Amino acid sequence: MTRATFIFIAAVLLFLPITSEFQEIEIGHQLMVCLPFILLLGIPHGAIDNVLFLKKTDGRNLEFIGIYLIVAGINLAAWLFFPVLAYVAFLVLSAYHFGQSQFVHYFTEINGPHKVLHLTWGIALLSGLIFFNLNEVRSIVAEYEDFMFFDRVHQELIIRSVFISSLLLSLLLMIFFAWKKEWQFESLLIEFINLSLILCCFYLMPFIVGFTLYFVILHSIKVMREEYEYLNVLGIISSIRGFLILLTPFSLLSFLGIALLFIGIHFDLIPWSYGYCLMIVISSITLPHAIVMNRFYNNEA
Amino acid sequence: MTILDVLTIPKDDAIAFTFFTGYMAMLAASIFFFFERSRVSDKWKLSLLVSALITFIAAVHYYYMRDYYLATGENPTSLRYIDWTLTVPLMCVEFYLLTKAAGAKKSLLWKLILASVWMLVAGYIGEAFNPEGGSSTHSVLWGVLSTVGYVYILYAAWFGEVAQLAQKSDSAVVKQGVRTLAWFVLVGWAIYPIGYMCMPGGWLNTAFGWGSENVDLFYNIADAINKIGFGLVVYNIAITSTKSSQPAAA
Repeated sequence: MTRATFIFIAAVLLFLPITSEFQEIEIGHQLMVCLPFILLLGIPHGAIDNVLFLKKTDGRNLEFIGIYLIVAGINLAAWLFFPVLAYVAFLVLSAYHFGQSQFVHYFTEINGPHKVLHLTWGIALLSGLIFFNLNEVRSIVAEYEDFMFFDRVHQELIIRSVFISSLLLSLLLMIFFAWKKEWQFESLLIEFINLSLILCCFYLMPFIVGFTLYFVILHSIKVMREEYEYLNVLGIISSIRGFLILLTPFSLLSFLGIALLFIGIHFDLIPWSYGYCLMIVISSITLPHAIVMNRFYNNEA
Repeated sequence: MTILDVLTIPKDDAIAFTFFTGYMAMLAASIFFFFERSRVSDKWKLSLLVSALITFIAAVHYYYMRDYYLATGENPTSLRYIDWTLTVPLMCVEFYLLTKAAGAKKSLLWKLILASVWMLVAGYIGEAFNPEGGSSTHSVLWGVLSTVGYVYILYAAWFGEVAQLAQKSDSAVVKQGVRTLAWFVLVGWAIYPIGYMCMPGGWLNTAFGWGSENVDLFYNIADAINKIGFGLVVYNIAITSTKSSQPAAA
C-alpha cells in the first residue's frame, strides 16, 4: 500500500459519513469546498511538465511553451467545431492518463496488455463517475445551454455498458497479471480495494466531492511525489521547498489564465458559461500534460 | 436448566447460528493456542498466551451473548463492547510483542492501547447512546471520532512504528507476519464499521434500510475472522520461527 492509498482510505472513512449526513449538496457548495483543493493540488501536478519534457530534449522553455500552446489551440478548435468528439476524446485521454499513473509503478515492462489496462481502468473510473451520478450530471447539463450536446453522450445505456465492460476487462487484466506473476498478489488486493473504494465514493458521495477525493489524493499527490523523487534523484531539486518553487511559476500562470477567462465571461466577452469554459481549459491542459507524462513514464519504466 | 431447554434456534436465523458457531470456534481456538504454547520456543509463549486469552475472553462473551440474543432477540451491545474493550487492546499487545525483539518500546504499546480504547469508547457511545429511533448526527459524530483511532492503528501497522520495526527485524517470518496482521487491520477490522452503520441513524440504515439484524451478523463474522485469524497468524510466526531456530537433526 502506498501512502497515497492510505491517505485515500483514511479520507474516505472520515468523509463518507460526513457527506452522507448532509444528504444532497448543491453543486455550488461542492465547488466551494473542492475547487481550492483542485486548484492548489491538481493544477500544480502538471506545472512542471516543461521540466520533465526538457530533461529529455535539448529544447528551451520557450519552444516547449510554443508546442504546449499549439496543442492546446488545436484542442480549443476541436471544442469549437466538434464539441462531442472533443469531449469524448478528452474523457478517453484522461482515462488513459489516470490508469497509467495508477499502475505504471507496478510493472517493470509496459507493453500492449498493460496499456489496455491503463485505458480500461481509467474508462471504468470515469464512466463509473458519470453512471453513479447521472441525475446530478444531467441537472448540471440542463442548467447550461452550452452543455446540451453532452446529453448525446450521457445516455444511460451507453454509460452503463461502457462502465460494466471496462470494469470487467480491468478486473480480468489485473487478475491475469497476478496469475502471470507480473505483480504481487498483495498489489492486486490493494488495487481491488482502491477501485472498490473509488467506486463507493462515486456512488455514495456527491459528484464533485467524490471525484475530488480521487483526483487530489490518488492522482495529483501521487504524481507530484513521483515527480519530486525523479527530480531529486537527478539533483535538480534537493528539498520540498525547492520543488514548490519549481511548481510555482506555471501554477500561477494557469491561475492567471483561468482568472482572465472568467473575467472575460463576466463581462460577456466570452460567450460560454463558467463551467463550460473550465471544461475546455482543463481539457486543454490535460492534453499536453498527458503526452508529457506518457513520455515521462515510458522513460521511467 | 440450559437456555436450549427453553429456547430453540430458528432454522432461518443466521445470527443465532453465527452466535453459536462463533462461541464454539472461539473456545476451540483458545484450547488450540493454549496447548500449542508448549510446542513453541520460550520467546513466543507469551504471544500465544495472549492469542489464547483473546479468543477465550471472546468465547465467554459469546456464551452470554448467544443466550441474550436468543432470549431477547436484541443486540447484546454492552456485552459486545465489554468483549472488545478487553480483546482489541490485547490484539495491539500482539503487535508490540512481535516487534519487541526489533526494539519496540513500551510507549508504542501504550499508544496502540490508547488508540484502540479511544476507538471502542467512541464506538460504544455512538451505538449505545443513540437516541430513540436513531440520530444520524450522533451516529456520524461518534463514528468519525472512532475512525480516528482506527486510522492511527492502521497507519502504525502499515507505515508507522510497527511497520518500521518489523522491517528492522532480522526475521523474515516476523516481517511477513506483521504485514499479514496489517491486512487484518485493513480488511478484517473494516467489517465493524459496516455493522456500526447498520444501526438506526447509521447511513447504511438510512440509505439501504439495513437494520440491527445486520449489525450482529457483520460483527459475528468479523469477530471470527479477526480474533481467530489474528491468533493463527501469530501461531504461524511462532511455530515457523521455532522450527527454523531448532538445530537440524543429524
